[in-house]
Amino acid sequence: MGLKIGIDVGGTFTDFIVAGHGLDTPIHKVLSTPHDPSVAVLTGLQEIAQILQPQADFGQFIGAVDTIVHGTTVTTNATLTRTGARSALLTTKGLRDALEMRRGIRERQYDNRYTNVTPLVPRYLRQGIGGRLDRNGAEIEPLDLDDIRAAVALCKEEKVEAVSICFMNAFANPVHERTAAEFVRRELPEAFLTVSTDLLPSIRFYERVSTTALNSYVGPKLNRYLDQLVNRLRAAGFRGVLLIMQSNGGVISPQLAREKAALTLLSGPAGGPAAGLYFARALNTDRCITTDMGGTSFEASVAIGSPVTVNDGEIARHKIALPMLDIHTIGAGGGSLGWLDEGGLLRVGPQSAGADPGPACYGKGGTLPTTTDANLVLGYLDPEYFAGGRMQLNVEAARRAIADHIARPMGLSVEEAAAGMYRIACNNMAQGVREVTIKRGFDPREFVYVAGGGAGPMHSCLICNELEIPLQVVPPSASVLCAFGMLLSELQHDFVRTFVTRLDALDWARLADLLGEMRLEGDRMLEEERVAVVQRRYRVRFDCRYVKQYHEVSFEVPAQAIEARDRQAVASAFHVEHNRLYGYSLEAEGAPIEVINVRLQAIGAIERPTYALERHSGGDARHALKGRRTVYLPESASFQPAAVYDGHRLRCGNRIEGPAVIETVTTAVFVSGSFDCLMDGHRSLTLYRKGREDLVESCLERERVPA
Amino acid sequence: MTIDPILLSVYARTFRSITDEMSISMQQTTRSPILCEAKDYVTGLYDAEGRMLEQTENLPILAFSLAPVCKYIRSYFGDDIHPGDVIFHNDVFSFGNQNNDVAVYRPIFFEDELVAWTAVKGHQADIGGAVAGGYNPNAIEVWQEALRIPPVKIYERGKLRKDVWDLIFANIRFDIVQHDMKAEIGACRVGERRMLSLLQKYGRASFEAHKEALFEATQRMMESEIAAIPDGSYQGEGRVYYDGRHAGSIFTIRVSITVDGKRIKFDYSDTDPQTNGFVNGTFTSSASATILTLLQMVNPDIPHNEGMVAPIEIVIPEGTILNAAYPKATTFGNHLCPPNAEAIQRALAPVMPDRVTAGWNNLLCSLTTGIDPQKQEKYVDIGFMGLKGGSGALRGTDGYDHIGMIDASGGVLDQDYEMFEQQTPHRLIRHEYLTDSAGPGQWRGGLGVETMFEIGSDDTQVVIFGDGDFEPAFGLFGGGNGMLNFIRLTYPDGRVVTPRNKDLLAGVPRGTHYHQQAGGGGGYGDPKLRSRAKLKEEVRDGLISAAAATKLYGA
Repeated sequence: MGLKIGIDVGGTFTDFIVAGHGLDTPIHKVLSTPHDPSVAVLTGLQEIAQILQPQADFGQFIGAVDTIVHGTTVTTNATLTRTGARSALLTTKGLRDALEMRRGIRERQYDNRYTNVTPLVPRYLRQGIGGRLDRNGAEIEPLDLDDIRAAVALCKEEKVEAVSICFMNAFANPVHERTAAEFVRRELPEAFLTVSTDLLPSIRFYERVSTTALNSYVGPKLNRYLDQLVNRLRAAGFRGVLLIMQSNGGVISPQLAREKAALTLLSGPAGGPAAGLYFARALNTDRCITTDMGGTSFEASVAIGSPVTVNDGEIARHKIALPMLDIHTIGAGGGSLGWLDEGGLLRVGPQSAGADPGPACYGKGGTLPTTTDANLVLGYLDPEYFAGGRMQLNVEAARRAIADHIARPMGLSVEEAAAGMYRIACNNMAQGVREVTIKRGFDPREFVYVAGGGAGPMHSCLICNELEIPLQVVPPSASVLCAFGMLLSELQHDFVRTFVTRLDALDWARLADLLGEMRLEGDRMLEEERVAVVQRRYRVRFDCRYVKQYHEVSFEVPAQAIEARDRQAVASAFHVEHNRLYGYSLEAEGAPIEVINVRLQAIGAIERPTYALERHSGGDARHALKGRRTVYLPESASFQPAAVYDGHRLRCGNRIEGPAVIETVTTAVFVSGSFDCLMDGHRSLTLYRKGREDLVESCLERERVPA
Repeated sequence: MTIDPILLSVYARTFRSITDEMSISMQQTTRSPILCEAKDYVTGLYDAEGRMLEQTENLPILAFSLAPVCKYIRSYFGDDIHPGDVIFHNDVFSFGNQNNDVAVYRPIFFEDELVAWTAVKGHQADIGGAVAGGYNPNAIEVWQEALRIPPVKIYERGKLRKDVWDLIFANIRFDIVQHDMKAEIGACRVGERRMLSLLQKYGRASFEAHKEALFEATQRMMESEIAAIPDGSYQGEGRVYYDGRHAGSIFTIRVSITVDGKRIKFDYSDTDPQTNGFVNGTFTSSASATILTLLQMVNPDIPHNEGMVAPIEIVIPEGTILNAAYPKATTFGNHLCPPNAEAIQRALAPVMPDRVTAGWNNLLCSLTTGIDPQKQEKYVDIGFMGLKGGSGALRGTDGYDHIGMIDASGGVLDQDYEMFEQQTPHRLIRHEYLTDSAGPGQWRGGLGVETMFEIGSDDTQVVIFGDGDFEPAFGLFGGGNGMLNFIRLTYPDGRVVTPRNKDLLAGVPRGTHYHQQAGGGGGYGDPKLRSRAKLKEEVRDGLISAAAATKLYGA
């Protein structure tokens, strides 16, 4: 296997990680170039080539790269900054406002200044088309071709770049949408076209129209970006495979991403969960909470065997009903600002100092106190060794910002105020973790906490104390966790069909047809991506509910249950999942179950990089000791001296007692007084609650094997 | 005990996350659409004396009854409150707000002492009485509306009182109510678990001290908001049209608001007397309306605890339409919120011109029931999508389109169109913004909507309740009024029926064309000053007609 490179384009930095380069897994960061993100991609690749193969020229280096996996925020940013395509919507006459109404929600009930979202398609470009299907897909009224002609004429006149088609009840019969699509393709060959039933043939009109409109809104921009990227890479000599990260945690070829651009709306953070799972597995568990704390936000997600997905996501208050990883984001990062509310209570975030001016201690003109400033005052950061010493931090500026805005108004010392900011930021993040665990029916104590992001490992102990999580992992690539996860991701395509039926009256032949249809589509895509038949897998899920319930539960149906036409097995899988989510099931009552959707996921396995494990070299960590400094210990709310270690000099098996600080170039790890720490064979720092060595037995095992 | 200002923030944030978690539990485990879809419930946390620590108020109109009932339960049972007790309550004559809103209270004990309560109150699909679902326009006394549940222990020391349970549910029509009451009990347990782990972590003394400090901090926030209102006494009125029994009846709500430094008093003494029908408020439903209207005029981030309500005094004499005397019928009481809000808005607009909105569209709602001929199954549909009109405009901000009544303020959602056609036999013909429905203004009102569907069942029952078909949402400071509400049915034989705003139509045939208009909110400021760029877009988009743009906006 040649080189494989994961590239994660973020708001501030573009992260790189290289696999296949011997034992080492080099990581690299360059500043992002938002006007054309492919510029930073190329710059970073050139810098990596310089570092890894200073003798060879860039063409040689890039020519030897097999695969590039790329996470992009192009579509995310287009949606957040409202810079997507000028698009039109052809929809059922009389229902053209559903997209803008969003079912009439106002998310902030007491706030009369909270306005609705500007719709992705302005009303005059949302054209009502005559023609109607009933709830079973039977035609009540034929499609009105004159209406389509008029709509197309308007699109031409208004020079729209993209067109969406979404008709009422099309999930049950796509015929009207297909006819309209043919017409549009013929008349507007240049336009980017999204047909709702091609993208998402499932019930719920608002969700479908919103997802369809999002796809058209971001499609043209993603296409232009992929053109630029592919051209640049090709011009540089890249001959390998380029894969794009999707919101569902899988990858997809650029050709397919072009049509289904909405699949990439949360591409950026989607690598994280798989990476977390990889490092958690070293501890013999496949249940983990992966977190990623960057400059402005904190992301949390759960994996059980595989990352948890949802079918009702949202971006900038627009619904996306395509399956995506359940990643919860809150405004808590290194740049989050501390402030006092009207009642004098201390708050941290969600506002952020951003990259510019950034935290006060960066000395770039920021005067407001941030989480990073607090961390510096608390001793978790070394002003001389930030980013490995590439940047000097200004302690005085940090103290001044905290004094002026927090300490003095609250009548606290600077240290007390900084400790307060730290505790509140951790509390906010703990609540964020609750969103993906407790609120989804998971007990966080049963999971390994993976602390990612440059700022994450300074906060993880307090978060884990709050949630009573006894075991954490800080991966060696914590600061580029998403890029690492991209190297592990498989090709993954999701399909759905609405199939409303009572489970006890399920028509198995019809089900087989629907599954066959989806499998065929999946095979076609995997074929296009040149995945060999033996490398393909399929997973089936049903969305079901008890009759008269309003919300469906999505759960995996074992293949044997379908082959054996075993209704009972399907039902019991549903009861189990319902019970897990909501704490009860109606199995005993024999409540009838209703199927709403069937889903199929086609997976193309790809070769994953393999990493050699470092050999055990004993528990003694003294060789890595750099010194001692005073740090804040949240358990006793006091400042005490703690040992400081150089993370790069630690070796597998080395053990460190908390409290301690472990520094690397890209992150600082704070081991609080409640935890001890052990480096595992992946060079992950494993933090376990004091006295709970049993949790890291798998790492200790190797200790006993003679070297 | 010294107050740790940091821990104080942690407590505040944690209380909120507890009531949010209880709310999620409710949404996911209840089965009646009015609970799991419309989220017509409130979850709350109270201290030992029943003072509000935090609430998640999906539907604010229920919200400010929970603490008074908690205090009442505390005094009703006195020493006879034990770990493992679970108490039901709905009685409107002991601080309940509406008969159908049935609450569960669970005392929390820590180190053998009562330290707090969790409570959930939700709108139940049925609560006995003469008419399924509770909206009985012919009721004149509470017994024709509902089964009264003054506080009753349904669990005592952890043991279910099966006989009491059976007595209650023998008087309620639908089994679904048993499930949904279990969901309320479950959500209380969820809150209790979190509360106990908080107490274990920080101890009782810390909790008590910080709770008081939190009340004080919140009270200071609220007081500073009130202090910003000029001192004085301000009067306003709102009207209620038709009590369901006396054709042409009109009632006036009169409020006199006195602002005195950091305190505010709402006095409804001059409000019209109660009616001999079901269009009467209860004290707590009316007080909730008052508080939620005020909350929309202050900083929306003020925590919801006892400190927030402390500076507010509300006087509503018994025997008025906002506080009916025992044993009057009161089921419609929650829906007196819009005219009550209107009275307050009219009173305060002159002194809070930056904070007060113009009038909101009033609720006019329909409920259709029948047998789906294809599935041979009974269906019930609450017409959420049809009832949601626009909110009133505010200085600097247009009203919110299609938000719905002020009592929910955008918390109640439309049915999804395709789910609507799966769950009813009806066929949706139209659901769109209604051109020119918004009150014109420099800032226009929120738009209303037009809804049309074809009724797909024979012998359909259509129940109508609401208002807003006589008087539109009012404009402010030169802004115009919104459009009126109406519901109109065209039978297959061509007959057109316009039901009264509290009505019950039986035997509506298949093929009947249902047409509803929910009006817009009132506008704010002179429409001639409206941004020309915005106006141009709105005319282009068909939200404002060219004729109205010329005539009303001076385009």
